[in-house]
Amino acid sequence: MDLRGVIINALKGFDFRKIIKNPVMFITEIAFFISIFIIIFPSYFNVPDTSVYIYFYISVTVLLFLTVFFSNLSTSLSESQSMAITSSLEKMKISTKANLLKDNKIITVSSDELRKGDIIIVKKDETIPSDGEVIKGSGYVNESNVTGESRPVIKLVGDSVTGSTVLVTDEITVKVSVNPGESFIDSMIKVVQNAVRERTPNEIALSIFLSGVTLIFLVVVASIFSLSAYTGIKPNIDILLVLLVALIPTTIGGLLPAIGIAAVNKVSQYNIISKSGKAVENAGDIDTIILDKTGTITIGEREAVKFYPNQNYDYHDFVKKSLLCSLNDETIEGLSIVRLAKKENIEYNEDELKNYEFVPFSSETSYSGIKNGDKYILKGSLRALSEKLNLNDTYINGICKEISLKGGTAIPVASDGKFIGVIELNDILKPGIRDRIEDLHKMNISTVMLTGDDEVTAAYFAREAGIDEYIANSKPDDKYNKVIEEKNKERMVAMIGDGTNDAPALAKADVAMAMNTGTQAAKDAANMIDLDSTPTKLIDVIFLGKQILITRGSLTTFSIANDISKYFVIIPAMFYMFPELGFLNILNLTDPLRAITAALIFNTIIIVILVPLALRGVKYTPSSASDLLKRNIIVYGFGGIVFPFIMIYIIYMLLSLGGVAW
Amino acid sequence: MNIYSIIDGNRAVSGIIITFIYIGLALLFGYLISGYIKKLYTDEEEKTWLYPISGRIVNFFEKFFNENKNKQMKFKEYFFTLIMFNFFAGIIGFVFIYFQHDFPYSYANNHMDLSLTFNTVISFLTNTDLQHYSNSFDLSILSWTFVVTGLMFLSAGTGFAASMAFIRGILNDNGKLGNFYHDFLVSIFYLILPLTILVTVIVIAMGVPETLSSYINVFPIGSSAVKLPLGPVATLVSIKNIGTNGGGFYGANAAFPLGNPDWFTNIVEYLSFMLIPLGSIMSLRYVFDKRFGNMLTGVLLTIFVFTSMLTFISEFIGIPEISALGIFTGNMTGKEAYLGLAPSSVFQVGSVFTSTGASSGGIIDYTPTGMLGLLSNLVLNDPLGGVGTGIVNIFTYVVFTLFITSLMVGKLPELMNIRIGSKEIKYSTLSLISHPLIVIIPLGITLMIPVIMGTFYNGFPSNISNLLYEFGSAASNNGSEAGGFLTNSSYFNYLDGIIMLLGRYLILGIQLLLAQQFAFKKPKTIYNKSAIDTGSFSFAFMLLAVIIMIGLLSYLPIFALGPLYSWAKDFDFMVIGWI
Repeated sequence: MDLRGVIINALKGFDFRKIIKNPVMFITEIAFFISIFIIIFPSYFNVPDTSVYIYFYISVTVLLFLTVFFSNLSTSLSESQSMAITSSLEKMKISTKANLLKDNKIITVSSDELRKGDIIIVKKDETIPSDGEVIKGSGYVNESNVTGESRPVIKLVGDSVTGSTVLVTDEITVKVSVNPGESFIDSMIKVVQNAVRERTPNEIALSIFLSGVTLIFLVVVASIFSLSAYTGIKPNIDILLVLLVALIPTTIGGLLPAIGIAAVNKVSQYNIISKSGKAVENAGDIDTIILDKTGTITIGEREAVKFYPNQNYDYHDFVKKSLLCSLNDETIEGLSIVRLAKKENIEYNEDELKNYEFVPFSSETSYSGIKNGDKYILKGSLRALSEKLNLNDTYINGICKEISLKGGTAIPVASDGKFIGVIELNDILKPGIRDRIEDLHKMNISTVMLTGDDEVTAAYFAREAGIDEYIANSKPDDKYNKVIEEKNKERMVAMIGDGTNDAPALAKADVAMAMNTGTQAAKDAANMIDLDSTPTKLIDVIFLGKQILITRGSLTTFSIANDISKYFVIIPAMFYMFPELGFLNILNLTDPLRAITAALIFNTIIIVILVPLALRGVKYTPSSASDLLKRNIIVYGFGGIVFPFIMIYIIYMLLSLGGVAW
Repeated sequence: MNIYSIIDGNRAVSGIIITFIYIGLALLFGYLISGYIKKLYTDEEEKTWLYPISGRIVNFFEKFFNENKNKQMKFKEYFFTLIMFNFFAGIIGFVFIYFQHDFPYSYANNHMDLSLTFNTVISFLTNTDLQHYSNSFDLSILSWTFVVTGLMFLSAGTGFAASMAFIRGILNDNGKLGNFYHDFLVSIFYLILPLTILVTVIVIAMGVPETLSSYINVFPIGSSAVKLPLGPVATLVSIKNIGTNGGGFYGANAAFPLGNPDWFTNIVEYLSFMLIPLGSIMSLRYVFDKRFGNMLTGVLLTIFVFTSMLTFISEFIGIPEISALGIFTGNMTGKEAYLGLAPSSVFQVGSVFTSTGASSGGIIDYTPTGMLGLLSNLVLNDPLGGVGTGIVNIFTYVVFTLFITSLMVGKLPELMNIRIGSKEIKYSTLSLISHPLIVIIPLGITLMIPVIMGTFYNGFPSNISNLLYEFGSAASNNGSEAGGFLTNSSYFNYLDGIIMLLGRYLILGIQLLLAQQFAFKKPKTIYNKSAIDTGSFSFAFMLLAVIIMIGLLSYLPIFALGPLYSWAKDFDFMVIGWI
């Protein structure tokens, strides 16, 4: 939306039906309309109508108009940002052709006609027509239009694919998981649009308070009317209107809607889709983060780096057996073992596999491999294999321990009744992860890592990264149980997940972020989806959540602290006929009308000054809550008292220099 | 002439020392009773040393009414019981007082009209004790003994029961607030009655009368015979202070020699009204968290120190016109000579700092800034509050301060680690704004009625202060009177009655509704420390700032045209012997 659109939208915001949702601005707008009538019929309101006063009334009217206008403008600006996001999303929603597999025949239909459960075939260089799950084949998909990441990602059976992304290799069969209009992009658009309308509980609480304060000031100003009427002063309604608008918290009231919308926009800029504004706000309040695997804090792809054969076991034979048991294993570990083994130029024959049955990896068993009756080659966690095969080899135990202490993952391989060696998989902490965990500690958030790795590896990475608690050898249930355990302690839990077995835990967590690469079930259960699939972004969302709350709190404090200076400017000016009250006139502003105008000008322009702050958010550096509180009290509390005095004085002086004399 | 040049250093210092001795004594006794009150708040009354006696009495009543503490109530039932209990007591009180001349122990002049009866009953029922009747003869001995004393116990018991329910709301997570009958009986028999008996014994020993004879004739020198009213004065003095009621037997209240014979009874009476409110706040040190309790005590005492110093120093500086004559006594007008400036001022500020409203001098005779010290407490809804209500009031400020401070550090707010949602904010906002609304709206309306404003003895601006005092006192259920106009008119009788009812039951209802919200919620388990340290200086500062910004600053325009204006023009002072 261009500038013109933003302005038109801001003007549309004057609509009573819209503005009534914001009581502070509603009152201001009513004051604006009354002030128009005062200009036209001064005698009807029993106010002085000399030309001096008429100029004053006109400037008040203009300023009141601008107050509401600037407030609408801030909302309109942030809305235009979200519209920019939705329209870029809309562009992605292109209708393409789809190869629908029906009754074993392939028919070409439009992507709009696809229904949930349909099976489609996507060929190389074709756009995937709808969200779905890969049920056959594998291939690299370019998701740059969704994630911004130009490197194609591999999609294997069970992975989910997003409509409008492009398959760049091979051919996959996809089961459509959504009906038209429910696709991922559709829901993203809906979310961003809803964020504009929906108010979070915290925002509602704040506006209840602001309405309460507004009501008090309304009554106070009305009482001044009767007070001055009683004392025989002709109460000037226009000045009372100025006092009212100056006292009610217009600064925070005007910027409140913009703060919320801006936050959701910012989440989108992080390439995260939040299903509700509430989730972002909750993120700021997280007490515990559950990291679902070591990979969250490490570079992730654990690469096989070295083969360690057992004592007296042939190196080449060990490598070959490791290769054989991994050939059908499509896990990252399996693929990397195959890669490493192939580098060793091992000769092997795929036919050897024919006699074997593949045992896939499952998190229940923690091993995988191949099997043929009594013969087997299995690789997996030391604990699982030792238990399963009833083996105990001190040499192997030693190697495994040594690898774990280095932070690597040891995968022992067992064949026909004995351990034949250990494969070392290595992984390192992501750069900067330590600092981020340290930031979390400063924010009083405890970190829990659940990992399928063994005790030693988990302990190593937890210690290296500074994680508070870890659960090694965890089973899928553990995640859910941990979430429930924390919830029972009334703690706010955030978790990251991507697998179908994460879905129950994700559904229970307060902030649940699913990776875009994850399964559809995980994405459905989560309330945030990370398009780039970089789990540490959850920490950014937490920062953002905190930033929204801090911006709201600080601006409220600032807005209310401002009242002190406005009181000390307007009250003595209003009661200038009682010279004894001059001691209240701290700034010693001699011209009452000019002083009142200066206060109102400040009240209006402070909104404009703070619009960038509201849209960008108050600067937030992770630090302890008490330091943050002290800092914000000084900046926004004391600043809120002193700053307007200075500003009003400067405006007053500028008005005098400009020759404005009433 | 610069009035500051006449300050006599020594007298000022001794006055300040006396004020701090009073404050220190209140702290000491509050501390001593806080452990005992904690046991009542945490339902451990069987651990108190009064259990062998009070336990039996409470048991007896509970068996009689077939109620006990296991019959836990939720908000609706609890509040409904509280209201009905008070309502019937009010009806009985109304009948007794309105028809008192038909009952025994009455004299021909014992009569009140409808509006005055309405006002008086509500006033005693709501712990206000705003006395629009001026003469001890207006009430018969029977009305004094049963109705007034009875309502004084009832209102104090109701207040304390409400605070027990409120604290239970925070501690519980089963949605229950407790049993009103049990709480009421515990308040009376474990706390209020024993203390009243103790204080009665002390004040009788100090010469306060306690008799059923209604008056004696005294013959002052050079004057004709005067009827000196007598009655159950000592009991009344004790319960009026212990129960933070404040309605004395004599119209002049604690400024009358038979109600407050000397400096010692002045301290005893002051300590008795500070005892339960301050002790309750200090008991939060044990109920919740030591530093939180200390913080609340500190914030409240800051208000007390500041306002009592403001009042004392204003009274000390005195009236410019009199000082100009070379008489530097300070403003002794309307104060008892045997008490002096500092004890009178600190007693008076303490009486509005709690919702007692007893007075040891003529309030209307205070200097404008001295009056400002009192008014500030009144418009803040009596910061330390009455028996029980103080805790509930301060918590609404705490909830709101937590909301703002939590936002400022990027957390969602929590009270005692219990999440504060939008409903809680709604109720605490409602409770916070109700008080200013029921003060300012009647004030604005009354100012517009020339007939009413014509009944004021003082002109502008003193009458603004007097009017604000009247409604502030009624709304905060304080009950002290500045007077300065014809209080016993049906307009003020009915209007104040309604304000008192709203100030008591509307606000209490909203506050218990707030407790009900917390009662369903479980506290969060904290691994290291809470986000907001409620014991910290920053939080205390913010709490004080919120109290001042929300509570006090909204009154600035009225203060400006009332006490501040009077002060500014070397106060338009009218000496009225209104004692």
